[in-house]
Amino acid sequence: MTISPCRTWIGLTLVWSLLTTSLAWGWAWPGADDLEAALERGTKSAAQAAGPSVVQLQTVGGKEFVGSGQMTMQRGRGPTTGLIVSDDGYIITSSFNLAHQPSSITVFITGRNDPLPAKIIAQDQTRMITLLKVEAQGLPVPRWAAKSELKLGQWVLALGRTWSDSPQAPPSISIGIVSALDRIWGKAIQTDAKVSPVNYGGPLIDLDGKVVGLLCPLSQRGEDDVAGAEWYDSGIGFAIPMEDILRVLDQLKAGKNLERGLLGVQFQPTEALDATPTISLVYPHSPAEKAGLQAGDTIIEVDGQPIARTSQLRHRLGPKYAGDTISLKVKRDKEEIAIPQLPLIAPPKYQQMAWLGIAPVRDDPSWEITIRYVFPESPADQAKLEAGDKIVNVEGRPVPGREGLAARIGGAMPGSEIKLGVRRKNGKMETITVKLAAISGAALLADLPPGSAKKALAPRQPPPGMMAPPRPTRPEATKPETAKPVTKGFIETEDPVLGRKTWTYVPENYDPNVSHGLLVWLHPAGDPMQAAMRSIWEPLCQQHHLILHAPLADNPSGWLTSEADLILQDVRGLLQTYTIDRQRIVAHGLGQGGTLALFLGMDAPEVFSGVASVGGVWVQSAKEPRPGQRLFFFLASGGKDPNIEAIRVVKERVSERQYPIWTVDIPDLGTGYLPDADLLRRLVFWIETLDRI
Amino acid sequence: MIRRWFWGLIGCWLACGAAAAQESTFAAVSRQVNQKMVKIFGAGGYRGITAYCTGVLISPEGDILTVYSPTLDSVDLRVHLYDGTRHSAVLVAAEPQLDVALIRIKDREPFKLQPLPHVDLGQLPPPPQVGDWILAFSNSFEIATGDEPVSVQRGVIAAITPFAGRRGIHRAAYQGTAYILDAVTNNPGAQGGLITNRRGEPLALIGKELKNTLTETWVNYAMPLPALASFAAKAMKGEYKPIVREEDKPLPNPGRHGLILVPDVVDRTPPFVESVETGSPAAQAGFQPDDLILFLRAKRPDAVEEEEEQVVTSVKTFREAMNALPPGTAVRCVVRRGSQLLTLEFKLEPAR
Repeated sequence: MTISPCRTWIGLTLVWSLLTTSLAWGWAWPGADDLEAALERGTKSAAQAAGPSVVQLQTVGGKEFVGSGQMTMQRGRGPTTGLIVSDDGYIITSSFNLAHQPSSITVFITGRNDPLPAKIIAQDQTRMITLLKVEAQGLPVPRWAAKSELKLGQWVLALGRTWSDSPQAPPSISIGIVSALDRIWGKAIQTDAKVSPVNYGGPLIDLDGKVVGLLCPLSQRGEDDVAGAEWYDSGIGFAIPMEDILRVLDQLKAGKNLERGLLGVQFQPTEALDATPTISLVYPHSPAEKAGLQAGDTIIEVDGQPIARTSQLRHRLGPKYAGDTISLKVKRDKEEIAIPQLPLIAPPKYQQMAWLGIAPVRDDPSWEITIRYVFPESPADQAKLEAGDKIVNVEGRPVPGREGLAARIGGAMPGSEIKLGVRRKNGKMETITVKLAAISGAALLADLPPGSAKKALAPRQPPPGMMAPPRPTRPEATKPETAKPVTKGFIETEDPVLGRKTWTYVPENYDPNVSHGLLVWLHPAGDPMQAAMRSIWEPLCQQHHLILHAPLADNPSGWLTSEADLILQDVRGLLQTYTIDRQRIVAHGLGQGGTLALFLGMDAPEVFSGVASVGGVWVQSAKEPRPGQRLFFFLASGGKDPNIEAIRVVKERVSERQYPIWTVDIPDLGTGYLPDADLLRRLVFWIETLDRI
Repeated sequence: MIRRWFWGLIGCWLACGAAAAQESTFAAVSRQVNQKMVKIFGAGGYRGITAYCTGVLISPEGDILTVYSPTLDSVDLRVHLYDGTRHSAVLVAAEPQLDVALIRIKDREPFKLQPLPHVDLGQLPPPPQVGDWILAFSNSFEIATGDEPVSVQRGVIAAITPFAGRRGIHRAAYQGTAYILDAVTNNPGAQGGLITNRRGEPLALIGKELKNTLTETWVNYAMPLPALASFAAKAMKGEYKPIVREEDKPLPNPGRHGLILVPDVVDRTPPFVESVETGSPAAQAGFQPDDLILFLRAKRPDAVEEEEEQVVTSVKTFREAMNALPPGTAVRCVVRRGSQLLTLEFKLEPAR
């Protein structure tokens, strides 16, 4: 447990200010004893005043583990904490306490021996607070303090009920100070009192016994209901200001789930928080589109406050809900445009991916996109586009490369019309209107012409009149930093520290100027299938420019979801070494490996664009797709697999989320791998067309 | 860092209170308690077991109370007293069920002339309350050696509660009432350290590093000295006999209730009633399919009082509880039916 020097200084400053205050009151030298005794008395009386409003929640059933990936936590078996907010039975708690989705919630209230059954009324998904209701009257409502009463450095107490072995016992107490205000994008009070599952859902109170906030795990990185719990007891704890909760309490009481308010645009993706907020995509049919926002606009003002960086924008929008209205000012070229009233939207739900019906030529440094193939009966086919035509602009604006086009088309609504500027094979410019359709999961088998212009390492040319190409949402093939010779053929690795093993096959005909697909093979539990996979896939890798990478599970009994992060590290390492097409990175697994492939795809859709599972089953991931998120599924199942019922569920779950799926049912297959060359040909073709637009 | 805090604090007083030349209360308390603390060095240094811990002198001749750990199972057990003197020690008695041990300095002769400052377990202050300020004295992380004072932390009694804890998958040995502390006290080597109130009066012994099963988080706890006093008194006289504790074991013939719960398929299958055997005690009590069992209390046939209420968190916990109860036991269940809570009572029958 580390304690930062800055805490020491806060402590010192505090003691200093206490001392100087008392000195100023008549130069009476306070005995250390008096000072502590006063604080001790204050602590107890404050806890006593607020204690009866702090209730204990006991749940039954639910999941054993909560969260996902690295932030997976075992759920404790003990009771948790809630806070009464109205005398007629409304209780608020941290959504963390219910993240395991229990079958039943009961509430113990001080002064009552019998527990009361509770039901969930609504959730505030921006602050991860849940409102519960019990049938009771005359409950003790705590007094509360407004945000304006809060001062940096003032003493506060965190109260919890996990340790109370009876409803009559006092709540547990942790003492601290207010370390900061307006934390986590303007949503929370920060305290150095020990905040943990022992008191999440309980109140943070001042020394008058007034509630200043509700204790919650929060993180500026994650947004699910356990994010931030890794900081428990560290001296970094958070509480949602009571004032903010009371402001939306009536909406929650009415059963309305509150969601985060979004502008309805995407920004150029970057890790840097000091990036300029320049719009890269406006969601179709969103209020932002209706208000006239365009890709390329830079946001410079929100609600009258100047914005220079993406982080400032997040800070302004962080506390907002869907349905709230903001005023906006954007800069377009040299012009400033004011949008006085823009309603914020809820995070978009699932949406079908739209397509044009073409395969683009890869590894082409030109900013124009050359059509490699037009899929029969697709929107492009109906609009009479042909292989060899070049797409020059969309709605009059140049589109940078095939990723830019894929993001632009994929994020549009199927059925919407779009104007393409096309340079035909004969050199003539034409504007062609195409009515987009929903992309199909099954790509028709066809003879595709060669896919690569073989200039992956050549510098990209900017569109005329532009300095440099804007960064596409997914970079064209990731290029290795130097063109120095790389290892080819069969490569085995073993991590000297972790003892973790992998093997990789890079085809002998590897050419850094041709972007390769990457197939990450996840073997079934207990059987690496190394020899079988090598003999099947090495010829296919050579023929279709694929790299095969196979991590081995740490444990012979199978994969753990915690190994997902190591696999992602593998992929990042390969991206730095080889020319890999980010549109064709596939997680492919059999049996339990298939389950991990499905998990990886849902958990890291920014890395994987395809999941090919043979006999995998569904595991819930906390993440959900954004519009324009390209993720394709190839789902094979054996009719004689004893798990067939569970495997079929995968198709339902993926369909619900509107991802394109290609299902292959193999009636005679048990738990084995794809049994014949035709099925393999289909899988290879599916990988080959993952970059279709 | 905590120590720096303290010295900083004391420095503050000295700086602005030069007129008040007398020593601060903190410093006086710290100096006085430190004389009763020992640094213990023994076996360990591998597999997460530290080779050091802390102890408290409880007699003028060098009897030391500490937390039981494999560190003490050493032929070369040594202690450093507050004045920097080093002594060989020996393990006298250990009570794994209480997690405490008594060790003794081998050569007691010098202390007959010059008695050691110590905690008198016969004269303990009244028990603290939740919210009381405390000081924690321990050699956590082996920061102090020789005559250096052990580290002092400040905190609050966060809760007083029956203890549930675990290390890895095992349950904690200590099962009595514990003080939960609002300070990160339970660090490597801190076990056996002393919790005092603000005036330096001894309250409790700092426990091990443990995760608690209620929240699956690390817990800072201490064991109240009154609970350990009888062990210490007997161990000093050489009369100590380890406790044999009765465990709740499944009975060969537990009583019959007639409840059939839903199949136990996931980690925490909620204890829903699937069906009720006709004419069984549960049927007579009015149980119905789809009732969710939440809590139960049992009164065994030979018992005077009801046992403590148990929270039934899953099908498994219900089975375990019922398999330990003989026929004739009166069982009171709180069940949830729709949005209602009902209390249903029945008496277990002999199994058929």
